[in-house]
Formats: sequence, structure tokens, C-alpha cells
Amino acid sequence: MTQLALIIDLNVCVGCSACVTSCKEWNTSGPAGFMSDDNPYQKDPTGTFFNRVQTYEVGEFPKTETVHFPKSCLHCEEPPCVPVCPTGASYKREQDGIVLVDYDKCIGCKYCSWACPYGAREIDEHQKVMKKCTLCVDRIYDETLPESERKPACVLACPTNARLFGDVHDADSEVSELIREQGGYQLMPEWGTQPSNHYLPRRKNKITIHKDELVRVDNPLNKEQKEHHKPVDGSVLDDNSFI
Amino acid sequence: MKKIHLEQIEGKSTGYLGLIALLGMFVLGAIGSMLYMEHEGHWVSGMDNQIVWGLPHVFAVFLIVAASGALNVASISSVFQKKIYKPLAPLSTLVALALLTGGLMVLVLDLGRPDRLIVAMTYYNFKSIFAWNMILYNGFFVIVGIYAWFMLDRTMKKYSRYAGIAAFVWRLALTTGTGSIFGFIVARSGYDMAMMAPMFVIMSFSFGLAFFILVLLASYNGTGRPLGDAVVNRLRSLLGTFVFATLYFVIVYHLSNLYATEHHGYETFILLGESGGETYSNIFWIGQIFLGSLLPIAMIYAPGVKNCRKTLAAACLLVVLGGLASMYTIIIAGQAYPMEMFPGMEVVSTTFFDGATTQYSASFPELLLGLGGVAMTLIMIALGIKVLGFLPATLEDSIADPHHKAE
Repeated sequence: MTQLALIIDLNVCVGCSACVTSCKEWNTSGPAGFMSDDNPYQKDPTGTFFNRVQTYEVGEFPKTETVHFPKSCLHCEEPPCVPVCPTGASYKREQDGIVLVDYDKCIGCKYCSWACPYGAREIDEHQKVMKKCTLCVDRIYDETLPESERKPACVLACPTNARLFGDVHDADSEVSELIREQGGYQLMPEWGTQPSNHYLPRRKNKITIHKDELVRVDNPLNKEQKEHHKPVDGSVLDDNSFI
Repeated sequence: MKKIHLEQIEGKSTGYLGLIALLGMFVLGAIGSMLYMEHEGHWVSGMDNQIVWGLPHVFAVFLIVAASGALNVASISSVFQKKIYKPLAPLSTLVALALLTGGLMVLVLDLGRPDRLIVAMTYYNFKSIFAWNMILYNGFFVIVGIYAWFMLDRTMKKYSRYAGIAAFVWRLALTTGTGSIFGFIVARSGYDMAMMAPMFVIMSFSFGLAFFILVLLASYNGTGRPLGDAVVNRLRSLLGTFVFATLYFVIVYHLSNLYATEHHGYETFILLGESGGETYSNIFWIGQIFLGSLLPIAMIYAPGVKNCRKTLAAACLLVVLGGLASMYTIIIAGQAYPMEMFPGMEVVSTTFFDGATTQYSASFPELLLGLGGVAMTLIMIALGIKVLGFLPATLEDSIADPHHKAE
């Protein structure tokens, strides 16, 4: 079974929120209707987002680092939001594993929000139905778009290629290879929800350099410098040239 | 024990009409609140994506739980054959149905899409405990409605015991289902416990009986009908037992949580008010434990207050308020406590709420919606006792008490 998912490389995410804005732009303009915003430029702004970038300061000053953590629906293989939905509005597609909400069947009881351990569910406060990332399902299968653009809007927008998209069940896919080779991990796997989205960890490369390694043993400059400082005895050719 | 007649109340007094008008205003206020939130969007309420169920749900769940408990008196009379409660059994069914109506009114009007109720009734996901609850609520109306009909209709009275047993089983299932809405939530620290279901059952006994006693005292006081101490004191001691039992369950619930290290954070949040939980901790200790449990127990069992109706009414009122505080602690505080997104890490601050405690303040429309549900319940009871003979004409000791000895 195909399981489409996002891979997010925390090592290169710079927290620019281009994925957030492109997601909002694409999905608010889509056939499912707008994603509401209230007080966007005032105190206490509120609105519906499929994708948010959380920024955390990790550690204590001065030993701190900033981690940008993009989070959207993780399209779990065992999504806890699906069985709790009283009307079956929340469902997982068999053909590609995307978890979706049928807006026409959602009664806005918000019980799925209680069940999702990742806090990925949001209510649209004007349409009053629950919303979440669709992996741009209206875009990835759109044959009127060039094949290179049949990806989620956030993936296309990311300037550092921190977001990748593909089938995590296909062992030969780029995303599976990244998970395998770069230590891709799931968010809280202990829940048993098997999130399809994976994160690539921040990587810190450290090497120990000894002092002598910084000195070039056969540096020709050493020789030149030595000779340069040698005092010149007697006159040389140019001392006598103009006589 | 003499035969007791059930009689309608006259319902023409200024006080009665004034009460209906006052309650009607609250119901109108609730409908207005719903329309306001519907029109402006839910962002005008105090709820957000962290506290998705707010004050209306506190009222709704309280009323639904109390509905099951209000049936106590009928159950004791039908299932356990206690004759003293028989005359009160029809009133018990009326209060139960009215409470459920009020609770469901709030619940439905607080849905994102109340207009899609028909969808909720035609598409069932049987894996969802929420869907099961819809069946349990609707079934409660049908079964308790039939039970009331059998009791009031002489030709069907012989079947009333069977209907009573069915209603008894169903009400236990209903409260189990309501408790399981929270018990089945594995994603949040405050829930995920099988004990939620029996705790809700015992809470229903306590809250529902307190509400029933208040209705009983108010209606007999208002109509001037005689109400003997035998019935009232039996109800008083029954309430005391239920308040004790509820407190016991609450203690065991928190002790169980304290035993598991993973829940320590939640417990210090509720019990000690750490991590921004001061408000919730105060509501727990002052509202749920002191005002809602300890004080009523003292008022019920204190020497010298045995026949004091005012003390009993005050104790019942405190149990009801304590019940609302319990629901606030369970529903709101449980959501306000942050979800464990990064195990082993302490999140001090984040950009979008993840890992941070949420402070909830209910908006006025939410309060009005909740109070509207209570008003709806009271209107139904007031109209019910006017239209049909739910209320015994007298509950004098000499008539109501089968063990009464003439002095």
C-alpha cells in the first residue's frame, strides 16, 4: 500500500515559514473553501492553519540552540482521530494513506481534536468544521500541472529543501532512503500511531583538531621567511647597476 | 401505606408564571448566544484549538450525567422495590428526561454545525464512543419515556417494573458511555483511565439526586403540598452516601495517577497548581472538594440538622455547584494541561501553544448557553408537573411512609 508522507529535515529548516504561507495560500484558495483568520494583524490573532512552524529554544543560556519544528498532520498509519469520529467524517484513504476530513459530514464536535496526540487538528472558526493538512490532495494528482509541480505547496515553497514528499512504503523512494540513511524518526512512536511523516534529526559534525595539525610541516614559506630575514653582506648586483 | 394520588399543579399563580417567564428569558438568551457565535464564528467564544470544549460542555455533561442520577428514585422503587419511593418515581423520570433535554440542548447548540444533527443521526461510526453516546441518549429518551408512560397509565402499570429495570440498565450504560468519552482519550494525561466510567456513574448518582431533591423541595414548597420528613430524610441520607462515594472515587482516581510517574506532572498541575494550574487547582480544592463534597457531607450528617429542609437544600445546591466544578476540572483543566509532545523535555515557551499551559476564560455567550440548558430543564419540569400528574398530592409521613406509626 502506498503511504504518502512528508519528510522534514530539521537540520536545514531555518524557520522562515514559507511552508506555512504557501500552504495557507494554496488551501485557502482551494475548492474546499477559505481558511478563516480573525484579528490577523492585531492582538490575539487567530486562524486556521494546516501547518505551523514551532520555534523552540533548547537548553539554557548560554548553551542554547534554536530548533524550528514544522508540524502538520502526520498522516498516521493508525490515526487515532479516525475511530473517534462519530459520523465517519474523518477517514484514511486506502489508495495513498492520506488522512482526510469530509467537510460535508463533519458536525464540528471537535472530539478528534481530543484524540490527536500531536495537536494537529484545528477547527475552522467560521466554517465550524475540523481541518487539517491534506497533503495538497487536490494538487498532487492534478494532471494539468507539470509533473514537477505535483507536490504539496509547502514542499515546493521550502527554500532550503527541508521538506520532501514521497511514498514511505516504497523502499526505493528518495524519502525512504533518507529515513534509512539519515536516521529519520517519527514523533512519539510510543503512541503506536505510526506517524507517516518523519523528521530528519539535527546533525552536529565535530572533529578534533590537534595544534600540530594546523602547522604545515613542509611549508615552503618557512624557508623563504628564513632566507628573507638573513642579512645581506656586501653589495649585490643592483647596488652597482647605475655606477 | 395509603393510596397516593398524583395530581397536576394548578400553575396559574403569579409566581409560577413569573418563573416560566424568567426561565424562558434564559432559554432565549441561550438561543441568542448560539446565533451570535454561529454568525460571528466560534472565535468570539473563549474556546480555541487547545480548549476545544469550554463552559457549555461543562454544563452539558453535568446535565447529562445528572439526568441519569435523577432516575435514582425511580430505580430504587422499581428495581429494588422500595415502596416509599414509588409515588416519586414518575417525578424522577420527568426530572431525568428534562435534565437530558437541557444537556443535549447545550451540547447540540455548541456543536460547530448543529444544523447537521441529521448527519450525526444517519451516519454512525460504531467504533466511536461519541456515536455510541448518541444512541444511548436517544435510547434513554425512549426507554424512560416508556417507563413514565407505563407508570402513569393504569392499563400498562403491570409492565412498569420491567420498563424500570430496562431504564436502570440503560442509565448505567449511558453514564458509562459519557465517562468513557473521557476515559478513552489516550492522548491527554488527565484521562486515559477506565475508572472514568464508574466515576461518572457514581457522580451521576450524587449530582442527579441533589438536583432531584431540590426540585422536590421547591415544588412542594411552591405548591404548599405536605411533604413529610420520612421521605426527605431518606433522600438526605442517600445523598450523603453518594457524596461520600463520589469523593472516594475522586481520591482513588488521583491516587492512581500519583502512583504512575508519567502522570505526576498532571497531578501537581491539578493538586498543587504548578505549571500555571493555579486556577484549576483552586476550582478543584475549593469548588469540587470543599464546597462540593466536604461541606455538604457536614451539612447532611451534622447533629441537629436532621429535619432542617433549608440545610438540606443548601447542601444539595452545593453538591450541584460542586458537580459543575468537578466537570470544569475534568473537562477544562484536562485540556489546559499541555500534551506531552517531546517526552523528557520541558517546554518553557513555544510559538503556537504546543507544550504550554492554556488559560481559558469563558465568554459571556458561553455562560448564557450553559445557563439556558439549566433553564430549559426547569421549564420542562415546571410544565410537566402542570400538564401531567407527576407530583403526588401529598407525601405526609402517615401516607407516604409504609413504616409510619401513628402517635
